[in-house]
Amino acid sequence: MAELRLLLVDDEAEFLEPTAARLSRRGIACSTVGSGEDALRALRTAPFDCAVVDVRMPGMDGLELLRLIRRDYPAVPVILLTGHASIDLGVRGMDLGAFEYLLKPVDLDELLDTVRRAATEASGRVPPT
Amino acid sequence: MREEPSPYRRLRSLMFLVLTAFGLLPLVAMLLGGLAAERRAAGTRARSVLEAMVKNRKATVDLFLEQKMRQLELVAVSVPVSQLARTPVLESTRHEMQREGGAIVDLGLIAADGRHLAYVGPYDLLDKNYTGQPWFEQVMVRGRYQSDVFLGFRQFPHVIMAVKKREEGRDYFLRATLDTDQLSALVREGGLESGADVFVLNRAGEYQTRYADQHRLMEKADLPPPPPHSGVRITEVSRGARRELVATAWLTGDTWVLVARQPVPGLAAVGWGSPVVWIALVGLVLVPSLAYLIARHGLHQIRSLEEERAKLYESVAQSEKLAAIGRLAATTAHEINNPLAIIAAQVGVLQDTIRDTEFLSQYPQLQDRLTKIAGQVERGKIVTHRLLGFSRRIGPLVEPVDVVAALDETLSFVEKEADAARIRFVRDYAPDIPLVRSNLGQMQQVFLNVVNNAIDAVGHDGEVRLGIRCARGGVEVVAADSGPGIAEADLERVFEPFYSTKGGQSRHCGLGLAICREIMRSLGGRISAASISGGGAAFTMWFPMQQESR
Repeated sequence: MAELRLLLVDDEAEFLEPTAARLSRRGIACSTVGSGEDALRALRTAPFDCAVVDVRMPGMDGLELLRLIRRDYPAVPVILLTGHASIDLGVRGMDLGAFEYLLKPVDLDELLDTVRRAATEASGRVPPT
Repeated sequence: MREEPSPYRRLRSLMFLVLTAFGLLPLVAMLLGGLAAERRAAGTRARSVLEAMVKNRKATVDLFLEQKMRQLELVAVSVPVSQLARTPVLESTRHEMQREGGAIVDLGLIAADGRHLAYVGPYDLLDKNYTGQPWFEQVMVRGRYQSDVFLGFRQFPHVIMAVKKREEGRDYFLRATLDTDQLSALVREGGLESGADVFVLNRAGEYQTRYADQHRLMEKADLPPPPPHSGVRITEVSRGARRELVATAWLTGDTWVLVARQPVPGLAAVGWGSPVVWIALVGLVLVPSLAYLIARHGLHQIRSLEEERAKLYESVAQSEKLAAIGRLAATTAHEINNPLAIIAAQVGVLQDTIRDTEFLSQYPQLQDRLTKIAGQVERGKIVTHRLLGFSRRIGPLVEPVDVVAALDETLSFVEKEADAARIRFVRDYAPDIPLVRSNLGQMQQVFLNVVNNAIDAVGHDGEVRLGIRCARGGVEVVAADSGPGIAEADLERVFEPFYSTKGGQSRHCGLGLAICREIMRSLGGRISAASISGGGAAFTMWFPMQQESR
């Protein structure tokens, strides 16, 4: 399998940068953006196998971004990642079609595992063109 | 009985008073109306009795007086003066008259010049001359005469009757004295009701007969005679403080009037015999009793409603408190989780980096220290996650849950910690525990809390017994520890928010069991605490087979 292309969306640059660095070491091609708007721009210019999205962001929040990705890029699975924990939020995210809902601080191995599962399931579901 | 708070007592008194008042009002009205009617009836009865009595007495007295007059006239017509002038003849005549009805005290024959021709009787009147006496003139003119009571020559009250006798062109007069005592006896014959009075008055309103001791013959009575009328007339008059019925009947000749009077029958005359009185009395007892019962019952209803409301309010307040705490916790967790995530990521990068470098040989402790930082991040994460009661299992909220597996999985989280403190888990599961429809994550959160509490309570070197069985149409899980137990008074309080027996230095905020109780409620189950005899506490969690949809 080729290198996974992951879009990492979070407004905290200090979280984005080290997380991307660690994922890259483990064979994931990481693109990082700081907002929902930037994420949509990135999706328009390059293909991704998976997106990890922070729920709480200024401007467009994670749930809105999730909705738009599900609508415009249904082949890209979205993993929600948040420090804000509520069952409600999780349920809404899952209802909107999130692949998984993870709580910060997330164990890197768990994140990796989830990203791989998401990409595998997505590629199985949507035949490659 | 519980002492009631004063607003309730006041309300009850008010209800009692109002009910009693409204109950008694018609009763009193009925009683008064009834008594008035009874009194009227008694009055009517008394009037007719009085009327009959007076009519009867008038007839008797009339008859008596008429009879005396007739006797006198008979003697005057039938016996010649020559005979009457003889004392023995007059004496025998008096005897004769005395025998036929008595009442004749003396008898005299008087010539036209007013001198006595003959006299028989107890007084010495033979030499008296009646010329100029009013009665004498009357009888000369009218031929027959009956006097009022007067003193006369003998200075003693008496009544005289006289008739004129004409013989050989000359006038003579036959005069008799009536016994006033006998007349009085005749009037009062047969007796009267108590307080009643019957007597005869002349036109001047002077007593002619005596009934009661206070009647003095010839004295003025305290009521004036009515103008002459026929038959019996009854009037109601005031006499001092009381009302009286006065019946009057003029005797034949309209010179004397027969008067009878008696008090108007009062309430006493109605008496206890009246059903109105009985009904009223029964009502007087019954109405306040019923009012009391109704007031008590009503108050009881009000109180239980109030208490229910208070309970509801309390539980709402409790939920709101928990919700507020939840919101605060969520916000705080977010604020803490983000920096934790950054620390974890940064530490991770460092760990990744030094793994590939020569650094390790120069700083052998670096890897160890980074691991410790990562470990502390993990610890912080556990605290925030536990505080939130967050479950990662996001899925259908209610699903078939294997309680045994859920408990075992939860125990596996804490087994290491328990082992370190030499605390043993003793499982006592009944076979064939059915699946229940519930929320696995929330159920495990409760288990985790209770088991953690049990481990904390034991401290070290002990056991936690875990039982699962079917009970009351659901599944019951019991966690019993060998710790110090819970004081009886605290058994209920342990479920209150911020209640903790673990002391200020502990990492517990005293919310665990409060959250557990809320979760158990939302799952349709129950959680309770008990003390085990011989030490230790037992927490019982019961889950229904089917969680009610909420």
